[in-house]
Amino acid sequence: MTLLVLERVTRRFGGLVAVDAVDLSVAPGGVTAIIGPNGAGKTTLFHLISGFQTPDLGRITFQGRDITGEPPERIAAHGLVRTFQLVQLFRDLTAIENVKVGCHLQTRGGVLTALVRPKGAREAETQVTATARELLAFVGLDASAELPASALTYGRQRLLEIARALAAKPKLLLLDEPAAGLNSEETRLLAAAIRRIAAGGTTVLLIEHDMNLVMTTADTVAVLDFGKKIAEGTPRSVREDPAVVAAYLGTAEGAHA
Amino acid sequence: MPDFSYLPQIALSGIGVGCIYGLIGIGFCVIYNASGIVNFAQGAFVMLGGMLTHVAFVQLGLPLAVSALLAILIAAALGVVVDRLVVRPLWDRNATMFVMILATLAVQIVIERLTLIGAGDQPRTLPPLTDLPPLMLGPVAVSFQLLWIVALSLVLIWLLDLFFKRTRIGKAMRACAINREAAALQGIPVSRMLALSFALSAALGAIAGILITPTQYTAFNVGVPFAISGFIAAIVGGFGRPLGAFVGGIMLGLAQAVAIVAFGAGLKNVAALSVLLIFLFIRPGGILGEAK
Amino acid sequence: MTTSRNIIWRDRLAAVAPALPWTIALAILGYAFLAGGYLVTVMSFALIYAIFVTGLNVFMGYAGQVTFGHNAFAALSGYGSAVLTASYGWQPLTAFAAGMALALGGALVVGYPTLRLKGHYLAMATLAIGLIVYEVAVQWQAVTGGYMGISGIPPLGVGGFEIMSDRAQLAFLLLVLVLATWSAMRLRASRFGRALVAIAGSEDAARALGIDVAHYKLMAFLISAAYAALAGSLFVHVVGFVSPEVFGLHMVVLAFTMLYVGGIGTAAGPLVGAVIISLLPETFRALKDYQDLAYGAGLILLLIYAPKGLAALGRLIPRSKES
Repeated sequence: MTLLVLERVTRRFGGLVAVDAVDLSVAPGGVTAIIGPNGAGKTTLFHLISGFQTPDLGRITFQGRDITGEPPERIAAHGLVRTFQLVQLFRDLTAIENVKVGCHLQTRGGVLTALVRPKGAREAETQVTATARELLAFVGLDASAELPASALTYGRQRLLEIARALAAKPKLLLLDEPAAGLNSEETRLLAAAIRRIAAGGTTVLLIEHDMNLVMTTADTVAVLDFGKKIAEGTPRSVREDPAVVAAYLGTAEGAHA
Repeated sequence: MPDFSYLPQIALSGIGVGCIYGLIGIGFCVIYNASGIVNFAQGAFVMLGGMLTHVAFVQLGLPLAVSALLAILIAAALGVVVDRLVVRPLWDRNATMFVMILATLAVQIVIERLTLIGAGDQPRTLPPLTDLPPLMLGPVAVSFQLLWIVALSLVLIWLLDLFFKRTRIGKAMRACAINREAAALQGIPVSRMLALSFALSAALGAIAGILITPTQYTAFNVGVPFAISGFIAAIVGGFGRPLGAFVGGIMLGLAQAVAIVAFGAGLKNVAALSVLLIFLFIRPGGILGEAK
Repeated sequence: MTTSRNIIWRDRLAAVAPALPWTIALAILGYAFLAGGYLVTVMSFALIYAIFVTGLNVFMGYAGQVTFGHNAFAALSGYGSAVLTASYGWQPLTAFAAGMALALGGALVVGYPTLRLKGHYLAMATLAIGLIVYEVAVQWQAVTGGYMGISGIPPLGVGGFEIMSDRAQLAFLLLVLVLATWSAMRLRASRFGRALVAIAGSEDAARALGIDVAHYKLMAFLISAAYAALAGSLFVHVVGFVSPEVFGLHMVVLAFTMLYVGGIGTAAGPLVGAVIISLLPETFRALKDYQDLAYGAGLILLLIYAPKGLAALGRLIPRSKES
C-alpha cells in the first residue's frame, strides 16, 4: 500500500496559486526528495501534508486514511511527523529534554498520572529517558545531552530536531530543508543520518535545495515549479530532464556539470 | 422597565466621551503600529493632560490655551522619556511581550504616584472652552464643550490622516510599522521614529484628557479607566488606521450609553468590558479587520 | 592554572546556588514562628500569595502564556466561600469546596474562548475578565456588600476544631504551600509538564509532535485557576473579611512582582518572591506615600536588569558553551 497519496492537491492565497493540482505518491521505504526553485510551493506542500494548512481542493491520504484538513497533532498521532525550515527547537530545554518531548505520543498520562506516579508511569519515564539517549547517540549528539538546545551549533540543532522527530516513531518523516545553513561537513553528517533513518524503516520525504544531498540520499525526486509538479523520477533522470533544467535556468545551488 | 426617554441625552454625551476614547485609542494604535508594543501607560498621559493644564492655569495663572499647549508639550516629552528609559532597554534585551506590558503598567503606577505626591489627591476640573449655556435641540441639551470635542476630534483625525499619508515623517513611521528592518535599510532612523510615536501618542492622550476634564474632573487616578476604554476603542477599530479607533470609540461610548439607560450607571464599566470580550472572542481583528 | 580553580569554585557555587533562595525564605519563616506577632500575619499573607503565584507559575512559567486576570478566580472562590459561610451559615469546609467549584466552573466557561487568543489579545481578555469580576463585586451590593465587603467569616476547621491561633494558621498555610509546590514540581517533571514547556518553546513544533496544544493550554489554565481559587478562599478564612480591593488590580501587580523577583518558572520562585515582596512594605513603612512609587520604579528596574529573578541565580553562573 502506498504510504502517502496526494490527489490534485491545490492551495490558493488570494489570486496566487501556491500549489497547483499536485499528484504525488510516496511508497513506504526509502527517501523521496521534492526540489524546485524558490517559491515553487514546496514548503506550502509540506504545510498541507502535515496539517498546518488545509488544501482548497484535492485529497491527502496517509496509510489509506483520508487526512485532508486534520489538525497537525492528529496527523502526528497517525505517524506523520515533520521538521521545520527554521529550526523550531525548545530553546530553553536541554537537548535530551527536547527529545523526550518527542516521546509524547509514545506515552500516556496527564495531570493525575503526574501527581500520583503509578508504577506503569514511572517505568514509562525510564523508558523515555533511555529512548532519548539512544536517539541522541543515533545522530551523534550524546555528548551534548545536558546542554541547552540554544547552546548547540546550528548544524547540531538540526540534528537535534531530527532526533526529536524520530522519538515520535513516525512512519513518514518530513524534513523541510534540513541542509539549509549547514557547511559541507555538517551536510555530510546529515546525509549519513538520513540514510540510516531510511535504512531503519522510516520513510523520508524531504525538501531540499542542496543538490549534492539530494543526489546522494534520494531514491525518487519530484520537481515543483510555480506550484505544479513538472517532473518525477530517479535523481539522474530528473537532473537531465529539460523541463527541470529550464525551470532552474541552470542555476541550481550546489549542482555541478 | 428602563426609561428610554433619557437615551438621546445620554447617547449624546456617550458620543462625546466616545470621541475621547477614540483619541486615546488612536494613541494606542500609533505606538502599536510603530513598535508592536501596547503602551499600558497611555492613561497616565490622559491624566497629565488635564492635571498639567490645571496646574498651569490655576497655580501659574497662565491663559487656558497656553496652559493646554504647555501640558501637551510636556506630555509629549514625557512620552519620549518613557520610550528611552523603559521601553528601549527592554526592547534591546529582547524582553517578552508580557514583560513589556508589565513594565508599562509600572510606568503608569510611577507617573500616578508622582502626580499624587506633587499635586495631592483632590479632584480638579477645568472651565469649558466656551462659557455659554447649551444649545437645545428639542428636549436634548447640546453643550458647547461637546461640540468642541467632536469638532476638534474630527480635525485631529483629518490632520493625522494627512500626516501619515502626505508628510515624509508620517510615511516613514508607516514604513517602520510595516517592516522595521526594511525601513532601517532604507535609511529611516527607526529609533527616532519610535520616540516620535511615543511623543505623538502622549500628545493625543493629553489632548483627550484636556478636552474631557471640563465635563467631569481629573485626579491622579483617572488614568487606568481611560486607558482601558481607549484600548477597547482600538480593538474594536482593529488596531489599524486612526479612523478605526475613532469609530470604535464612538461605538463604545454609545454602547455604554445604552447600558447606562438599560441597567443603570453602575454597570457602565461592565458594559465596556463586555464589549471588549465580545470583540476579542468573535472578531479580534476589529470592525475593519478580519474575523478569526 | 587559576582558570581551572575558578571553574571548580564556579561549579560548586552553581550547584549550591539553587538551594539558597529556599534556605533564606525558610529561615525567615522560621524566625516568624519564633518571634510571633505582626510578622506572623505578614508571613501568612506571603504564603497565601505564594500559593496564588505558584499557580501563575504553571500557566505563565511552564506553558509560557499570559494572564492578567487570575485574581478573578481568587475572587470567585473567596467571595463564594465568604457569602456561603457569613450569609448562609454553611460549614467552612463545604463552603470552601463550593467556592472553588464556582471558580473552576468560571475558568472552564471563559477558558475555552479566551485561550484561542494570543499575545496582547490574550492579555487584554484576561485583564477584562479580572476587571469584570471586580466590578460585579462592587456593584452587586445585595450579595457582596459592595465596597464595604463581607465580614465575620469564620476560620477554617472541621467539626468543632478551628484553626484559631496565628501560629497554627501559619503552620497550616505552610503545609498547604508545601503541597502546592510539591504538586507543581511533580507536574513539571512529568509528561504533562513537558508538554506545557514544549508549548512555551514552540507551539508549532509541539503540534507536529502530537501535542494537542489547545487541550494542554486549557488544563494549565484550569490548574492555575484552581491555585488562585485556593488562595482566594484561604485568604477570606484567614483574614475573616473580604472586599473588592482584596482581589483587585493591586493583587495582580503584586503577584507578578513576586513572580519575577522570585524567578519565573522556578520551583522556589513563588515563595521567595512572596516573602521578599511582603517584607518590603514593612521596610518602607515610614515612606508611606512613596511606597507605591518606589514599588513601581523598582519593578521597572527589575524587569530591565533582572528579568529572571532571584531563584534563577543558579543559572546565571555561566556554563561553558559548546565550541
